[in-house]
Amino acid sequence: MKRLFAAALLASAALSAHAAGIVRVVTKDPSGSPVADAVAYAVALDGTPQVHPPSEPVAIVQKDQEFQTYVTPVVVGTRVVFPNKDTVQHHVYSVSPAKKFEIPLYIGESSASILFDRPGPVTLGCNIHDWMVAYVFVLATPYFAKTGTDGVADISGLPQGRYRLEVWHPRLAAKVERELVVAESGDTTQVVSVTLRPDRRIRRAPDAGGADYK
Amino acid sequence: MAILTLLAPLGARADGPYVSDTASLLWQDNAANAASGDGILGAYTVGAGGTASWIHSGGFSTLVLTSLSANFEVCTPFSGLDNVAVGPRLEIRHKLEVGPYAPTVYAGADAGLVGFDDPERSNAEGAIFAGYSQRFTEALQLVVEGRAGSYDAKETVFTGSYAHLGATLNWDPNATWRFAVTGGWRNGDTVAGYEAYRSPSGWEPIDPGAYALAGPWRYVATFRKPFLDYRVSALTWSYGAAISPAIGRNTSVTLGFTRFETLGPDPYISDEVSLSIAHKY
Repeated sequence: MKRLFAAALLASAALSAHAAGIVRVVTKDPSGSPVADAVAYAVALDGTPQVHPPSEPVAIVQKDQEFQTYVTPVVVGTRVVFPNKDTVQHHVYSVSPAKKFEIPLYIGESSASILFDRPGPVTLGCNIHDWMVAYVFVLATPYFAKTGTDGVADISGLPQGRYRLEVWHPRLAAKVERELVVAESGDTTQVVSVTLRPDRRIRRAPDAGGADYK
Repeated sequence: MAILTLLAPLGARADGPYVSDTASLLWQDNAANAASGDGILGAYTVGAGGTASWIHSGGFSTLVLTSLSANFEVCTPFSGLDNVAVGPRLEIRHKLEVGPYAPTVYAGADAGLVGFDDPERSNAEGAIFAGYSQRFTEALQLVVEGRAGSYDAKETVFTGSYAHLGATLNWDPNATWRFAVTGGWRNGDTVAGYEAYRSPSGWEPIDPGAYALAGPWRYVATFRKPFLDYRVSALTWSYGAAISPAIGRNTSVTLGFTRFETLGPDPYISDEVSLSIAHKY
C-alpha cells in the first residue's frame, strides 16, 4: 500500500510539473473599460521554455485597404504571409528594429513569407496607403494570448512556477508587468490596469478640395 | 527620359476604375473680379462632379494614375457662368523611401474642355503640375504644388496662361478632424470686370481705373447689367483656411475660406467661402 501511495505521489508530482493552468488576464483602462488587442504574456522565471513556431505561416490579410488584424502575436521563428484581397496593389513594409522588410507592390497572394526571428514589436504599414497600420508582436515565450473586445485574454498551458506577467499594446503608455506564481491548483485571474496613449492614426478620408481661382 | 524610365516597368494591367465624387456650394463676394464698389457682385455657385481613376503600378512605390473627370457648376444669379467641364489627367506619383513619413513627389498633366452658358467663355485648357508631399507626424502634413497652364477661349479676353505655386499645411488632431491652412502665388492672366455705361462713343467703364489696363476687353451680358471684362496680367496672392471632418472612412465635408488679392494696375479682392463634400467608393 505504501508503495502504491508513493507511486501515486510521484505520478501526481510528475503531472503537476506539466499541469496546464490557465491565467485569465482581464485588462481595463483607468475608466474601467476593457482594452482590446492587448497581448498578455508570461515569461518563465525558473527556466526558458522552448517556443515552437507553427509549421504553416500565419496570414495577415489586407482588405478594404486595411489590415484585417490589428495586432498579431507570434512566437519567434514564425513565418507570416500578407495576402492582398483588395483590387488595388499594396506595398507592405516594416522599419521596426525587430524586423525590417518590404514586399513591393503586389496584389493577391504574395510569394513572400516573412520570418519573424527576433522578439519585439513590429509595426506594419503600406507605402501607398499611409493610413494602413497593424502590428506583429514577436514573443520569446509560448505563453501568451490576445485580449478580445471584452478585454480578456486566457493564457493556457502554463506549468506551475514563477512568471513575469507582462502586457503589451501598440498604444501602451507605461510598462505593465507583475510577478505571478502559478500554483498546482491551476487557474488564476489577474486584473491589470492598462493606460493607453491617444489613438492617433493617419486620416484616410478624401480631401473635398477648396476654392479655386478663376 | 526620366518619365519614360518610370513608365517602362508598367505592365498592361491597371487597377480600377476607382470612382470619387464631390459636391460643393460656393459663395463668392466678387464674382466679377471687380475693383470698384459698383461692379462687386456676390454669387452662389452649386457644383458637382465625378472622377474615375485607374492605377498602374510601377516599380518601388511608383504609381501612374490616369483619370477622367466631369464637373458642372451652376451660378445661381449669373447663368452665363454655368459650365460643364470634362478632361483627362495623368499623374506619376513616387514615394522616395519607405514609411509614412517618407516624402512623396508627383508630376503630371491635365486637360479639359469647358463649355460655358456664355459661349465666348468656353475654352480648352491644359496644365502641367508637380508637387511634393511631406508628412512630419501622423497629424502634420505639408503639400507644395506648382502648376503652369493655359486656356484658349473663343474670345481673346478669356484666353490666357498662368503659373501657380501653392502650399497646404494639414493638421489632423485625430483621424476625423482636419484643419488646413493654404497659401498661394499666381502670376498670369485673369479677367477683371467693370460695370459700364453707354456713352456716345460706346460702352465705357464707370471705374476710371480700367483705363490703366492694357489688355483686351469686351462687353459682356453675364452680370445682368452692363459690364466690360478686361484681360489682366497680374500677380495674385491667396490664403485661406479650412476645417474638414471625416464622415466614416471614405467621406469628408470641408468648410473653407479663401481670400484672393490680385495686385496690378487696378487691384481687387475676392473672398470665397465653400462647403463641399467628397466621397470615394
